[in-house]
Amino acid sequence: MSEYIVEMRHITKRFPGIIANNDVSIGIRKGEVYALLGENGAGKSTLMSMLFGMYEPDEGEILIDGKTVTFHSSTDAAACSIGMVHQHFKLVEPFTIAENIVLGVEPMEKRLGVLPWVNIRKANEQISELSKAYGLEVNPTDRIEDVPVSVRQRVEILKMLYRGAEIMIFDEPTAVLTPQEIDFLLQIIDNLRKDGKTIILITHKIAEIKRIADRCAILRQGRLIDVRDVAESSVQDLADLMVGRQVRFTQDKAAPNFRDPVLEVQNLTVRDEHKFEVVKDVSFTVHGGEIFAIAGVSGNGQEEIADAIAGLVKAASGKIILNGKDITGEPVRERCLTGLSYIPEDRNATGTIPDMTLQENLALREYYKEPFSKKGILQHDAFRRYADQLIETYDIRCAQGPDTVLRSMSGGNQQKAIVGREIEEQTSLIIFVQPTRGLDIGAIENIHRQILQERDRGAAILLISLELEEVMMLADTIGVLYRGEMLRIDSAENMTMQEVGRYMMGVREA
Amino acid sequence: MNKVFTDGLSFALPLLIMAVGALYSEKSGVTNLAIEGFQGVGAFFGALAATLLAPLMGNGNQMIIYIAILCAAVGGALFSCIHGLLCIRFRANQVISGVVINILSVALTAFFTSAANTAINGTASNKFVLDVSARFSIPLLSQIPWIGGLFTNMYPFEIIIIVLVIILWYLLNRTRFGMRLRACGENPQAVDAAGANVIRIRWTAVMISGALSGIGGICFAYSLIGNFSPSIYQGFGYLAIAAMIFGNWSIGPTTLACLVFGLAKSGGLQLCIAAGLPSNYTDLFLMLPYVLTLLLLVFFSKKNHPPKAAGEPWDKSKR
Amino acid sequence: MKKKNIFLARRLTGRYASLWVSVIAILLTIVTASILLLIMGKNPLTAFASFLQGCGFLAKENYGGGSGQLTDMLDFLNYLTPLILASLAFITAFKAGLFNIGISGQMLLAGFTATVLVGYNKALSPFIAKPLVLLIGLIVGGLTGVLVGYLKYRFNIHEVVSTIMINYIISYLTGFFINNYHVDMMTRNSKVCTPEARLTLTNVMIGDMKCKIPLGLIIAILIALLVSFLFRKTVLGFEIKAVGQNRRCSEYSGIRVSRTILISMGLSGAIAGLAGVAYYLGYTNTIIPKSLPSMGYDSISVALLGSGSPIGSIFAAAVVSVFQQGSNYMSSSLGVAKEIASLITGILLLFASCGNYMKYLAGRTMQQTSEIASQGSSRTAPASPESKEAKTK
Repeated sequence: MSEYIVEMRHITKRFPGIIANNDVSIGIRKGEVYALLGENGAGKSTLMSMLFGMYEPDEGEILIDGKTVTFHSSTDAAACSIGMVHQHFKLVEPFTIAENIVLGVEPMEKRLGVLPWVNIRKANEQISELSKAYGLEVNPTDRIEDVPVSVRQRVEILKMLYRGAEIMIFDEPTAVLTPQEIDFLLQIIDNLRKDGKTIILITHKIAEIKRIADRCAILRQGRLIDVRDVAESSVQDLADLMVGRQVRFTQDKAAPNFRDPVLEVQNLTVRDEHKFEVVKDVSFTVHGGEIFAIAGVSGNGQEEIADAIAGLVKAASGKIILNGKDITGEPVRERCLTGLSYIPEDRNATGTIPDMTLQENLALREYYKEPFSKKGILQHDAFRRYADQLIETYDIRCAQGPDTVLRSMSGGNQQKAIVGREIEEQTSLIIFVQPTRGLDIGAIENIHRQILQERDRGAAILLISLELEEVMMLADTIGVLYRGEMLRIDSAENMTMQEVGRYMMGVREA
Repeated sequence: MNKVFTDGLSFALPLLIMAVGALYSEKSGVTNLAIEGFQGVGAFFGALAATLLAPLMGNGNQMIIYIAILCAAVGGALFSCIHGLLCIRFRANQVISGVVINILSVALTAFFTSAANTAINGTASNKFVLDVSARFSIPLLSQIPWIGGLFTNMYPFEIIIIVLVIILWYLLNRTRFGMRLRACGENPQAVDAAGANVIRIRWTAVMISGALSGIGGICFAYSLIGNFSPSIYQGFGYLAIAAMIFGNWSIGPTTLACLVFGLAKSGGLQLCIAAGLPSNYTDLFLMLPYVLTLLLLVFFSKKNHPPKAAGEPWDKSKR
Repeated sequence: MKKKNIFLARRLTGRYASLWVSVIAILLTIVTASILLLIMGKNPLTAFASFLQGCGFLAKENYGGGSGQLTDMLDFLNYLTPLILASLAFITAFKAGLFNIGISGQMLLAGFTATVLVGYNKALSPFIAKPLVLLIGLIVGGLTGVLVGYLKYRFNIHEVVSTIMINYIISYLTGFFINNYHVDMMTRNSKVCTPEARLTLTNVMIGDMKCKIPLGLIIAILIALLVSFLFRKTVLGFEIKAVGQNRRCSEYSGIRVSRTILISMGLSGAIAGLAGVAYYLGYTNTIIPKSLPSMGYDSISVALLGSGSPIGSIFAAAVVSVFQQGSNYMSSSLGVAKEIASLITGILLLFASCGNYMKYLAGRTMQQTSEIASQGSSRTAPASPESKEAKTK
């Protein structure tokens, strides 16, 4: 009888161009909460994907309960009572909650003795019972497209429980939750542990590991660095092991020095395609030298506010004034010329044209002006000179210089290119949406530094972020958005993280 | 008036079976513009079978028609493997693949019809002449005024199609296979994580679309044209796709859309005859289904919701 | 075998990858066609030679009165001209991410309009008639293109479905008008257009051969150069490519997407219109009612074979034209159905569209070989975190 319920020995996994896991060996005991800590790209998700049957290791073996197993699909893993809640939910939008949960293990029946038929009613009943038993209340007949993110996560957890999982893998579960929802989730995990389940938690959030995990394995660039007892390790220890050097947790932030108002948003309302108001009567002002952060759970209208200010989405009513000019009805280019830069959330999809070269991408804000084009004819040497300049200033690594195809560059360098391009414009207003999503600590430090630099230059910064720590660290002023309404706007000094969290949940307090 | 319903239905039903084929493919996540080609190639196989069997089983033997339909289905399914290969295995652009197959079909069927005819009877004709299919009327129902026309002078294949469509609806919406297929078109990652084989489901869906289109093609050959020739390619495959779009990718509304097309076509023709216009003017009325399609697309395209993952090749390594 | 794979892989990931894809596609097609011919009991070499003979690249054994290798070559160029234009039309829309399958209809409508308005007007001198024909081609084609672009942008109608519908509408509409007003009782086609309006000079005597000089060829090459210039060097071309590659980013960059789509479809239609007049008042001088020119679909083959490059499509069009024009001679001298030309073109198209897959396989092969190389060298040095950092940065 092995002491470990899950063992992974000498696991190596390669993808074209990269070694995702390099000779990793870990052992997990039954009934413990085991954390996998590492930055993006460290190999945590890949390792667990193999445990869940989505990939097969190139070298090494996996043992469950002391017996060697090979998983060809997630069904094999499920047969060993392993389940996984993924970082990007794997849900079918138009299907109901019940249909999503039973997909793959549908309860079948034969109507009239012959016709195969999926018994949804039975599924609904089973799920109702299951959800009540674990405190994960859901309505099985709701469609996924209609329910919020936290409910979707409950559906993912219920998927595992429905299949009788005993070993449960959570991949970055708190990325999309408010502080209160995180508390709720950690409580659920605790309940599951008390129920005898083994939990594997993949995360880069050390604070949560300290709260719930028993042991923690640290991965860095595909290798296992160490396995620590969480109670005996400090946050600083774990962070340093994760990054490989000493980590700073705070930035030096100069005292606020507000200049004239740059951006004034008055009674902005935005409707979606179903005519539903996703932004309701929002008003705020951002001054030069001020970082105004909009906090809120994903999907409460933040992206729409940013898009409306940038001109990608029409405002149903209200006014947007930039540098004294009313830009409410103006096309995108006019707004940029008036003094707006925008670093979008979905960087690569929205901010770049992946099959074009680096120099073409870097010139996207400038190509139609002199010296990049004269009378409609492009001047390629101007492109090249500008690209060389930006490559130098922003330390963009590119294999073939300005001629590198953007798609072949790493995600981090694409990010540097986009941020560089926008910051180089030196506009009065810069909008950052989720600027550090998916980045590792080194890159995050870099972006934060750039944001503070621009603020000190006198730019007005509109920061939209789901990471509450980031908001608290950087913001001068915080506005909390809930279901499209700005519930509170106040200076950052006057609000605690708990307060902000409460507003994010919609709790309005006096 | 009866004739409008009779002819309308006999046009609408083959169109419907093709539209359902397109629907299966798209619902599983493979954009399928190749219906036009599939129906032509399927019709080719069916007509070839009929031509080969006629001397053996006797001309005018109605059994030949059923065998032809079967061969058309098999032939269409086999040919659709090219689209499957290009889209699923080679991850090519699915729109290009569809267009490529349509072009290829015209060339292939023209060439092989000619070659087959040369081999069979020495003439390099590009037509396979088909027998006239027997028609029947349902007693009682066909006596109802006005809509009795729907049950008069029906081709036997119309019944086959109606039964097939009902089975296909059940398959898609009530069975496990159908549920997984629909999930593949919305979020293939979810299906993969649930342990089902996305690739196999999509291949099956594409081959189903090939088979169904083949059936549609041979039915058109029998009912509309009387032979198999290059005039099998009249854009009905694209009409079927348009019907699927109006039907918002579900079988019930698609059926309605096909009926509208059918009645428009036959109605237009009868109008032309009734008004006593010379036969040259029929061309104008033959335009009706296409004009109608455009107009309906104008009004309905904004609201439609194609399957979310349609058109994107499935790549297992993307998480 | 490994060595050959690497040779191919290196070619397919280099600067001229697209060119190599086309070359491989042509080679594969020749091989497939040869197999087909062998099955039919014909000698592939003679067959391919006869294709070339039919186009004037090689000499035939004997020629009829008034014709020779030169006349065959000129006939080939006559066919090539509208094909080049049609494929340029497809490429222009394709760069914007749009599939203009309606080139056949645009060609027919332009050819019909020009024939009726100018081709039947006996009073015009050639110096007025010919430019007028070109102008009508541009305008009629351009308007049709703009219509399709408008339907796409405003109503989100997929251009493949809308262009096919428009194709059939044009086909029936023009067929109706021809059959009722402009039909030639003997041929059942439309009445022929005047020689003044025709873009091909017929009955030009060179030596003792009756030659047809395609004036349109100059226009075709000119347009190819213009299109190439548009996409390499102009702001408009840059914006069209941006919209075609990533519409969302184009919006974000301030490009007016609707205007760009309309312009590119308009240009595409206009060039298709030129192809139409080059075809109906050039290559031929009459219109078959209710028949859409298959050239409209062959243009897609040409565009894909030429990898979407305007200059490349001149050569790709030449390849396809050899098969199409040469098929008459080939079929009569070898006894093979002339549909084989369309079949070969279709197979060519099939292989050309596998181009992306070929490049992908090549990329994988290159990566595996470089990994094997680096693993071999890293066995000596301890695998250090620095080398990983270099990779991820």
